[in-house]
Amino acid sequence: MKKGLLPLLMIALFYSDSIFMIFFPENAFDGAYIPAPHFFIIGLLFMSVFYDRNAAIKYGFLFGFLFDLFYTELLGAYLFFLPLIVYITSKLTKWLQSTFITFFIIILFDIALFEMIVYGLNLLVQRTEVSFEPFVSMRLYPTLALNALYYILFAIPLRNAFQKLKNIFG
Amino acid sequence: MPQFLTNKRLIILLGSIIILVALIGFSIRDRGNITWPEKFVKDVTGFGQNIISKPVSVVEEFFDNVGRLRNTYEENEKLRTNLDKLAQLESDVIRLEKDNVELRKLLEKEESLADYEPVQATVIARNPDRWYDLITIDQGESNGIEPDMAVMTASGLVGKVKSTSKFTSTVQLLSANDAQNRVSALIQSDKSNYGLIEGYDEEKRMLKMTKIPSDAKVEKGQFVTTSGLGGVFPKGLVIGKVMDLVPDEFGLTQTALVEPAASFYDLEHVMVSKRTMTEVLPKEESRQQVLIEEEGL
Repeated sequence: MKKGLLPLLMIALFYSDSIFMIFFPENAFDGAYIPAPHFFIIGLLFMSVFYDRNAAIKYGFLFGFLFDLFYTELLGAYLFFLPLIVYITSKLTKWLQSTFITFFIIILFDIALFEMIVYGLNLLVQRTEVSFEPFVSMRLYPTLALNALYYILFAIPLRNAFQKLKNIFG
Repeated sequence: MPQFLTNKRLIILLGSIIILVALIGFSIRDRGNITWPEKFVKDVTGFGQNIISKPVSVVEEFFDNVGRLRNTYEENEKLRTNLDKLAQLESDVIRLEKDNVELRKLLEKEESLADYEPVQATVIARNPDRWYDLITIDQGESNGIEPDMAVMTASGLVGKVKSTSKFTSTVQLLSANDAQNRVSALIQSDKSNYGLIEGYDEEKRMLKMTKIPSDAKVEKGQFVTTSGLGGVFPKGLVIGKVMDLVPDEFGLTQTALVEPAASFYDLEHVMVSKRTMTEVLPKEESRQQVLIEEEGL
């Protein structure tokens, strides 16, 4: 029974992005800003730091694949770059002291990096024609703001959840 | 950095880059539908999505309705004035439809490009990545949905089915940037002007209708509908209204900016249209006549 808790939590985080999209009025701000939710990535990074890095890489791989298949239909993007982001984060947290503030900055850095990678990829396959400047003002800043807000609200519950899970299994 | 890039890591990195490129190449290739393993994963993921998003949608709709209650009075006034006109319009439509059927019988052309069977569907997910406007609906192959079918709301065309699995399908909205996504459309006036809906202007939030003949007289506010000539969409689905007309870069044709009739945001319920007549060209013997008609266009 308890073994299922971790997958269950990750599944809930996986669907939370799309649930946010149901609630979020998409023409808010008159469409001038396009914040994208990356709640699953935040959860995954918490998992990598407070639970286990290698498990997080595996989960990133699996759920990244699901994400690609189900939502974006561009196979490979999340599949490959989610584990990469987890890896980078684990290296960064080793160098920097892991407090809530530094972790906050690391996560924002990760999301910015991820957005830029996905932007580059979408540009490459001609799914978007937005140039870099509008991308930064329309997407990157609002996305960072939205996910920063999420971090502030859910950092402590997420950390507690993963630490508890680690105590059970680790 | 000798310890950062050990042999094993290098191999993993290179291997995954190759897989990444192969997968991306595989997924952007022009393919009819997704493969069966993808369908299977989609169904499993869609099952979970269904369980989660249905109750959430109910809650969301409740709040929406509460919000709407505030404008009820104004809306009611407006609707009442429209209602008087509606009765006349309705009787006209019934009369014209009957005429149409009778005339068609006379011509022995009972099928029409405009015929379709609507399938009701609920939107269960929207691409949270927000790079590419894809939505997932809760109807799939088991309900007869196939790729390339037109998807619309009550107010107009919103997109087409991109891929299907057994119980879900993915819909690509007209606002998605895809060079291969062209919809044959016509501007309704005394003489119909044909063109292609091709691309979406993100900043103005309007569809671009290209390849309109340069001598075509198009006025602001005229309706744009599907023409049914593309072989995919039924004829006569409302796309939007012409807002602006500009000559294209070579001056040979014109491009119209079309304000979409349906909102691409906050979609909840959509209809998928199964077109009953799939061939644009009629059977052998009457083809000659069509050719003559087409020359006249």
